[in-house]
Formats: sequence, structure tokens, C-alpha cells
Amino acid sequence: MTFAERMLKIDRRIIFAVIGLCTILPLLYPVGLAIRISPEVKAVHGYIESLPEGSVFLLSLDFDPASKPELYPQAVALLRHAFKHNLRVIGMTLWLPGTGMANEVITRIAEEQGKVNGKDYVFLGWSPGGSSVIINMGQDLYKAFPTDYGNQPTKGLAVLTGVQNLRDVSYVVSLAAGTTGIETWYVFGKDKYKFELGGGCTGVIAPGLYPLLRSGQINGLIGGLRGAAEYEVLIGQKGRAVAGMDAQSVTHFAIIVLVILCNVFYLSIRKAKQGQGHGSHPNVV
Amino acid sequence: MIFFRRQLPLLITLVTGIVFAAQYYVPHPASEEMLTTVTKWLQIIGGFALVLGVTSLFHIHAVKIRRKEPGWGYSFVLYAAMLGTIAIGLWLEGKETINGTMTAFGWIYNFMMVPLQGTMFAILAFFIASAAYRSFRARSREAAVLLIAAIIVMMGRVPLGEYLVPISGDITQWILNVLNASVRRAILIGVSLGAVALSLKIIFGVERAYLGGGKE
Repeated sequence: MTFAERMLKIDRRIIFAVIGLCTILPLLYPVGLAIRISPEVKAVHGYIESLPEGSVFLLSLDFDPASKPELYPQAVALLRHAFKHNLRVIGMTLWLPGTGMANEVITRIAEEQGKVNGKDYVFLGWSPGGSSVIINMGQDLYKAFPTDYGNQPTKGLAVLTGVQNLRDVSYVVSLAAGTTGIETWYVFGKDKYKFELGGGCTGVIAPGLYPLLRSGQINGLIGGLRGAAEYEVLIGQKGRAVAGMDAQSVTHFAIIVLVILCNVFYLSIRKAKQGQGHGSHPNVV
Repeated sequence: MIFFRRQLPLLITLVTGIVFAAQYYVPHPASEEMLTTVTKWLQIIGGFALVLGVTSLFHIHAVKIRRKEPGWGYSFVLYAAMLGTIAIGLWLEGKETINGTMTAFGWIYNFMMVPLQGTMFAILAFFIASAAYRSFRARSREAAVLLIAAIIVMMGRVPLGEYLVPISGDITQWILNVLNASVRRAILIGVSLGAVALSLKIIFGVERAYLGGGKE
């Protein structure tokens, strides 16, 4: 077995160790490289900035704890921005396993910003049905959520004054880890009830949402941890996302190096076999 | 009776399919009220679907435990965790905190479910790296193009990449906004047309697999 063949069959635990080190070391010794702001993240930030104080902002935290590392920092940054801008915040989730986490982040950031439950914000919780919840909210918010997560009746809450359905919401942002998420909010919500919609998502599903972004179906997109870091920079309050960018930078480069090495070894084996005259099939290694 | 098993569901599907497709274009208050009522029904049905799912899960794992099938121990863990969580959740009326103090239900959620799910997802990074090393090879021209695009996007999405190769960020934006978006849009249009065709087939009773037992 040649050196290249041995390297291609390297024990995967070595790769795991490399990735582990590439994640841990930058977290312990951060460098803090500059983060460039993308237009899609700037669009979400800019739209919230453009809203008059007291406008209604609905944040749908459509993710479960599995996507917490990417979407939780997005939620924190968006909530901080909305509360600082004195928007009325409605929180909710379409993902049952994420309910407790969504409640925790909204309550924590609201307390941090000195906001009062029922007056400045409300967390509606989760309701079954996915897309039908959105339609029902579009028809009548109080029928979809007669009570909030803490079981207080939604009708009469100061934060919901003048809000009857989704048509009265100025801006909706769905932070989604898949379906039900941003596309559902567009198809069943924005298309009929005509509110402005933005999105935040995990890095892995972000490329799939670019058609919605390009066509204006969503006005902005916060993609993955990078998007969260950009938003933290925009609001001038660096947090977990910015802290994680060094680790992500090094890990990306480790994977790039691994892929390049793998191809160098692969091509050298293929060349050697072709030289020997029995490597005519390019796919055989 | 064949009427209740076949013809009535087909009739309900036909009528509701046509009515609610038309409803979208009729903003009359009566039409809107009908939509409000029906979506509330859907929410209630969604709640029952959850009960059905949990019941089915219980049944599958009960059979595994009873027959002592391979891996029945995991089923036992699932049973214990689910019953324990349901019991504690019902006892505490689903509250994660009471007067600012975390309940046992909140503890299970915050210190068991959240880290366990997070760990499962985080492990993916290690497997993706290993899989990329083993299988991301330039076996053909198409694979080489994909490989180069992936490397550029991976560089352009992190600050270190933009620092070392400043243009990588712009190229990444172009790949995502132009190449990726156009291909995704083509796929979306294809999927949407397929969904419309399937919906019409279901509404008009051509596709009957949802009734169970396949086509008559």
C-alpha cells in the first residue's frame, strides 16, 4: 500500500480530533477577525430600524434545541434590536420542542432590556397545526391564541392593542430550522395577509431560500451563525455568534485542507495506476 | 359499506377542494369566516394527530420490549423517559418555572433535552468532515466544478477566508445569488407544478392512495 493509499484510509478518529481541536482552540484563544456585513442581513436590520416606535414585530422561533447554536444567537440579536427600538414584540413558535427555549430567550432578553410582559411583549407559545396556525392568525389572532404561554387571555393585552390579525403586524421574522418555517410563513401568511417578512435560518438551509430573497418574497435573510454574527455587529452588541466565528473560520479551513489533501492523494493514485496501464477507469481507486 | 369507505370521502375531498381553492379569491366576510372556522378545526385535528403519534410510538416500543427484540433496552429507556416526562409535566401543569424558580419539568427540558439534541446535531460536523475527506473527490469535470464552488463558498462564508482572499466573499455572494438561486428556482417551479398536478388529481379522485389500499 502506497503512502497516498494509506492516507486515504486514515482512521476517522484522527479527523474527528483535528476538527475537535479546530473548534476548541479558537474558542479558548479568539482572534476576532473583522466580519463583513452582507446585504441580506443588512436588509433585516434596516427594516427594523425603519419601523416607527410602537410598531408590532412578530418573531416566530421555528426551531428546536438541535439548531440552538445557530438560531439562538439570531433570536437574541433580533430581540435586543427590537426592544431597543421600542417595538411591541409578539413571540411564538411553530415547533413544539422549541417552546421552552423560545419562552426563555424572549423572557430573558425582555428582562435585560427592562420590558414588561403583556405591555411591551407577549409570548404566545405553540399551537398545533403548522400552516393552519398561520392562516388562523391571519384571520383572527385571538382565535388562534386565546391565551398566551402563561395562560393569560390575549384579548385586552396592552401589547396587542390595535392588533386583530396578521394584517396589523408590521414585520414578521421566522427563525427556521426547516419546515414549518420561512416558506410556510410566506405561502400561508405574507401572500394573503400582506405583511413584510424576513427570515433567519440555519446555514444548511440558507442556499435553498435565496430564490425567495431574490424575488422579494422575503426582504432579508440571516443565514447561520455567520448571519447572527453580522447582526450582532450591526447592533453593536457582540455575543456568542461573533465568539463562534473564529472556530467556524478554522473549522472551514480544516475541512478545505482535508478535501484538498484527499484530492491530491486521489489524483496521485489515479495517475500512478494510469502509468501502470491498468487505471483506465477514472472512478476506480 | 362502499359508500362510506370510498364515495363519501371522495365527495368530501371534491367539494372542500374546490370550495377552498375558490375561497382564496373571494374576500366576502362569509367566506373569510368559513376559513377561520375551518383552520380552527385543522388546529384541533393537529392536536389529535399529536396524540395519535405518541400512542403509535408507545405501541411500537411496547411490542419491541414484549418480544425482547434487538435493542429493546433503548425502547425501555424511551418508555421510562416519556412516561417520566409526561407524569412530571402533568403534575406541574406543563410549567417550566414557578415564581421564577425552575421546576423539574423545566430541568428535564433545559438540562436533558436541549443538550442532548444539541449534541446530536453538533456530532454532524465531525461526520461531515470525515465524509468530505473520504468522498469529496474530483472524479469527473462536474465533480471538480462542484468541489471548487464548495471551497469558494466555504472560504467566503467565514472571516478568515475573506481576510486571506478578500474576493472570496463577493464570489460567494454571486454563486449564492445567481447560480444557486436560479437552479433552486427551477427546482421549486418543478416541485410546485407537481404539487398542483397532484392536488388536482386528489380533488378529482384520480389519486386515491390517501384512502388506503391504493387504487380500486
